[in-house]
Amino acid sequence: MAQGIAKTKKLSQPKHKEKITASRKKTFMLTTMVLPGAIWLFLLRYLPMVGIVMAFQDYKIYTKKPSFLNNLIHSKFVGLKNIKFLFAMPDTTWQMVRNTLGYNILFILLGLVISVTFAIMLNEITKKFVAKTYQTLMFFPYFLSWVVASYFVQAFLDPTRGLLVHLMQSWGMQTIDFYNNTKPWPLILTICNVWKNTGYSTVLYLSAITGIDASQYEAASIDGASKWQQIKYVTLPHLKTMIIILFIMNIGKIFCADFGLFFQVPMNSGPLFPVTQVIDTYVYRAMTTTGNYGMTTMAGLLQNLIGFIFIMTANTIVRKVDSDSALF
Amino acid sequence: MARKSKAEKIVVPEKRSYNAVSIPTEIIINIVMILFCALCIVPFIFVIIISFTSEQSIAQIGYSFTPTSYSLDAYRYAFDMGAALWRSYFNSFFVTVVGTVLSVFVCALYSYALFRRDFKYRRFFTFFSFFTMLFGGGLVPTVVVCKQLLGLTDNYAAVIVPMLCNPFNFIVMRTFFQSSVPEELIEAAAIDGSGEYNTLFKIILPISKPGIATIALLNALAYWNEWYIPMLYIRENSYKPLQQLLMEIQRNVDYLAKNASAMGAEASKALTSTPTQSLRMALVVMVVIPIAFAYPFFQRYIIAGLTVGSVKG
Amino acid sequence: MRKKKLLSLALVAVMASSMLAACGGNDSSSTTTTTDNTSTTTDSTSTTDTTDASDASSDDTAAASTGLDISEPVTLKWYLHGSNVTDDSAVMEKVNEYLGEKLNVTLQPIWGTWGDFDEGATLAINGGDDIDIYFTCSWSADEYNQYAKKGAWVRLDDPDNNLIQQYGSDVWAVLPDVVKEGAVIEGSDGVGVYAIPGFKDFGTQNTWDVNVTLLKKYGYTVDDIKNTDYYGFGDIMATVKAGEEAETGETFYPLNVEGAVLERMVTNSIIVNGDSGTTNVLSYYIDPTDVSKNIGSKIENKFGTEEYKKFVEKTREYYNAGYIDPALGNANSANDTLVAAQNAAKYLIGTQSYALGYEVQTSAARGIEVQYVPCTPPYVDKTATQGAMMAISTASKNPERAMAFLNLLNTDPYLMTLLEYGVEGVHYNLNDDGLVVFTDERDNYSPWRNGMGNITLLPPQEGEGVDFFVDTFIPYYTSAKGIPAFGYAFDSTNVETEMAALANVAGQYALALSTGTVDPETALPEFLSALETAGIQTVVDEANAQLDAYFAAN
Repeated sequence: MAQGIAKTKKLSQPKHKEKITASRKKTFMLTTMVLPGAIWLFLLRYLPMVGIVMAFQDYKIYTKKPSFLNNLIHSKFVGLKNIKFLFAMPDTTWQMVRNTLGYNILFILLGLVISVTFAIMLNEITKKFVAKTYQTLMFFPYFLSWVVASYFVQAFLDPTRGLLVHLMQSWGMQTIDFYNNTKPWPLILTICNVWKNTGYSTVLYLSAITGIDASQYEAASIDGASKWQQIKYVTLPHLKTMIIILFIMNIGKIFCADFGLFFQVPMNSGPLFPVTQVIDTYVYRAMTTTGNYGMTTMAGLLQNLIGFIFIMTANTIVRKVDSDSALF
Repeated sequence: MARKSKAEKIVVPEKRSYNAVSIPTEIIINIVMILFCALCIVPFIFVIIISFTSEQSIAQIGYSFTPTSYSLDAYRYAFDMGAALWRSYFNSFFVTVVGTVLSVFVCALYSYALFRRDFKYRRFFTFFSFFTMLFGGGLVPTVVVCKQLLGLTDNYAAVIVPMLCNPFNFIVMRTFFQSSVPEELIEAAAIDGSGEYNTLFKIILPISKPGIATIALLNALAYWNEWYIPMLYIRENSYKPLQQLLMEIQRNVDYLAKNASAMGAEASKALTSTPTQSLRMALVVMVVIPIAFAYPFFQRYIIAGLTVGSVKG
Repeated sequence: MRKKKLLSLALVAVMASSMLAACGGNDSSSTTTTTDNTSTTTDSTSTTDTTDASDASSDDTAAASTGLDISEPVTLKWYLHGSNVTDDSAVMEKVNEYLGEKLNVTLQPIWGTWGDFDEGATLAINGGDDIDIYFTCSWSADEYNQYAKKGAWVRLDDPDNNLIQQYGSDVWAVLPDVVKEGAVIEGSDGVGVYAIPGFKDFGTQNTWDVNVTLLKKYGYTVDDIKNTDYYGFGDIMATVKAGEEAETGETFYPLNVEGAVLERMVTNSIIVNGDSGTTNVLSYYIDPTDVSKNIGSKIENKFGTEEYKKFVEKTREYYNAGYIDPALGNANSANDTLVAAQNAAKYLIGTQSYALGYEVQTSAARGIEVQYVPCTPPYVDKTATQGAMMAISTASKNPERAMAFLNLLNTDPYLMTLLEYGVEGVHYNLNDDGLVVFTDERDNYSPWRNGMGNITLLPPQEGEGVDFFVDTFIPYYTSAKGIPAFGYAFDSTNVETEMAALANVAGQYALALSTGTVDPETALPEFLSALETAGIQTVVDEANAQLDAYFAAN
């Protein structure tokens, strides 16, 4: 600290020139901070983007001198041919777009409400040890892959040996062949999604809450604010930025579905397609038969383009209303 | 400053109890939490039970909470893998520690600069990272760059480098800074003549522990859980992390099952020689347990509310 | 990151799925034989004299590697499939010592496992990695045909640079004609051979897997199965189901089947394009008693035939009677369920693509008497002959040396045995009869036996007959006849969009219908109309145009 004070003294009457130098220096220093990440992003994210042209190509190997670049250079451009398969059947296209969008909107909203609520609840638990225990347990689903989760779901729903099926039998209820019946699946998939992702997003909100200065609560409490009012006027405004940022980022992925959830958990059961078919599973199945890289690249490009438009729109709106919370 | 926050810590419980939620509310909160946590932990218990279930029981009644007979075979088999198993434990551990430290470091630097409103290129670099969340070149070109250009094959760097940066974390971290670091603090530091790096490491980071811990936690989990990247870049057994061993088994089984009707007897034969279902579950248990125990370490910083009063300091 | 995973998943999919066709389904390892394992290259050639030298490229049978310049040392990278190898140092030391002398080559195998192979190999191929030789086949992701078209493989019988003639005439002389014919496809360099096929079980025979022990318990014999067909199993299954359930109190499902295989067995259809259930929409039909007789079949939408309708209605009847486990109708749980029932011997009749000697093996494993009742004699289709091949990459800098290595590998029992079984005294020992007995070390070095090449060069394993290959294996497979459209392979390049849509339609209905889990009354018309929308007719027309062209040319 002493050293700092000495420096301040030296600079106590900065001239105009020095100010510019200081500002340049600051920009330079901050740029060096960005540099490691920026170089990484350039090499591992931007450079491979060359491959996006595959979306418009009939990608072939250049037999004379095969290398990725040579292959790209010598492959034939086919325009938008690779996009056609997504629109081959109007009903199916509508179905998968509806499912992808519908589930994502549901998951985003539900995820938001549940994780923020849980974060606030955890914060209110007086015994920190108990809160920690809850939080640890909530993270467990994150460790289990969807494949493992699907075994678990099957243990309940299996038409012959499932626990739920046994229960229904012993209660004299009509049993349901779950893997053949579309009705329960929107609920099952939603529960699975909440189950897996709540721990993750709760921790983000919780640490944002933890960053709130306790004196603010004190002050509010002294002013006679009830717990609800404290949440409303202190906690939520503090969480606002985090909520908005996560929301915007989720909007960008609204056309991309969690493949494992929709493919593994329903055991890839055909009769369930009307409620489990999403863009990603459709593309996957298409790829299994054609093996055409251009098609997946194209589908991904399209999903992200739409996401990009959504995100830019959302961000522009946010920036107009509250520029601090905007993504950029 | 350190002394002060310690003093605050002692004061906190009193303040809390004075400003705590009512007891009925807290009971309700606890009930909700217990129910949800049960939902979260039961599947894992299920996995543990399967890992101790005998093969006959699985063959007879499938996966069940109440198998007809138990067995330790899966664990015995796993431990028979001997050196390879411990080696991959070490690899996972090493990669997680080094990867987490490096990635948090890079992330803190990048997102701190993004957080600084007076940084000239702030918007550019925000967009520069954000854009990659949406657009990518796809698998083939990425692998080509990593393998052929950067030489990321069969070394620890091949697991660490491809996951070093995550634009999502950059933006989350920036948001943490925004919500917990008052700008006056930076101005004050600048007036004190503190250099940019000094400000970041000596002043900002200490009060951003919850954010740093969160990012560290997420990165540690990501490194520990990752199997896909090692699968692309690691063939040498001595560099394989634990998750890769597990996933290789799983994928072998899936692949054979998928191709069974094409391969006929060949697949059935190969399937009988792949590890059993209970072994797969035993490996899941062995993957999850260490990271679950490491979790409280991060939690200390996330939950305990250590930053109280730091603004004034 | 998540997005990347998605992409990669899609990729896995690509590869992992379109498994075309049965790769013979026959594993020779259960039985055995041997060519005299001291035999030299020429000896082994003579043991397989089913081959004749009529093939143009094998005319030059004189020393294969005569024209080869081996003055420069060369490293060959070799990408394999289905390996379980954790330590190859002892083997590779010997292999490289030997290869160094013979060809001045250092071999670097890449031990692809089952699970990572598709992705690993496909990425390497597309990315132009520096790899010389790849395992390839027609069933995994149709890699052989697909990548030949994309230009990944060197044409080996290129008239301008005939590698087979120059450096591979020995192996070419060893291979049966039908296998060589099966390797001829259309690739980036015209119609020709793009990989060296393995000499393995190349015949296909679908059979009923019968639990004879259970059958006898209820007073039936295996002849009761032989004398009827799928449509006549009902009474037997009813009796056994009732009896078993009364005895154990648990649900018993007598019919333990793979939907796609069952459909083929009942309707006598042959795989045209893929067998994964999602790509499997076309059929070619054969006469079940005389597989090579041309019955004038066209390629058809397999779900649109009367035969299929009859089949699914019967299957639904069986399903409703409780003969089929509902879990067999879910793509992802079907196989686990099937295998579990087999292992526990909790089934009466199943489906099985046959392998020579398989009844001994499965009877022992399941603790019951198992018999396989064939639906047809063994036949050869193109996809079966392309079950395991070695292709030379266009990225290879030394295709000549790679060919010479493949030539040596497929004709030299010492080299083949070393690579397949490991080092004698370390990974295996020979017993008094000269049969192979593996040691514990084998766990660290187990390549996939059918995944390397000519398995008839190998010494037999313990439990296999001393003369297995000569007495059993070779006669069985060489007796297998080619189907009428044997040389034909469907090229879906022009109808990719339709195929992509069809895969999704088939994924929704095919397995469920073929296992009876949905009611054909409503589901079949829905299915057919969805297929129509997705463009099945275009695909059928395209396939038939190609078939006609094939018959016209032959």
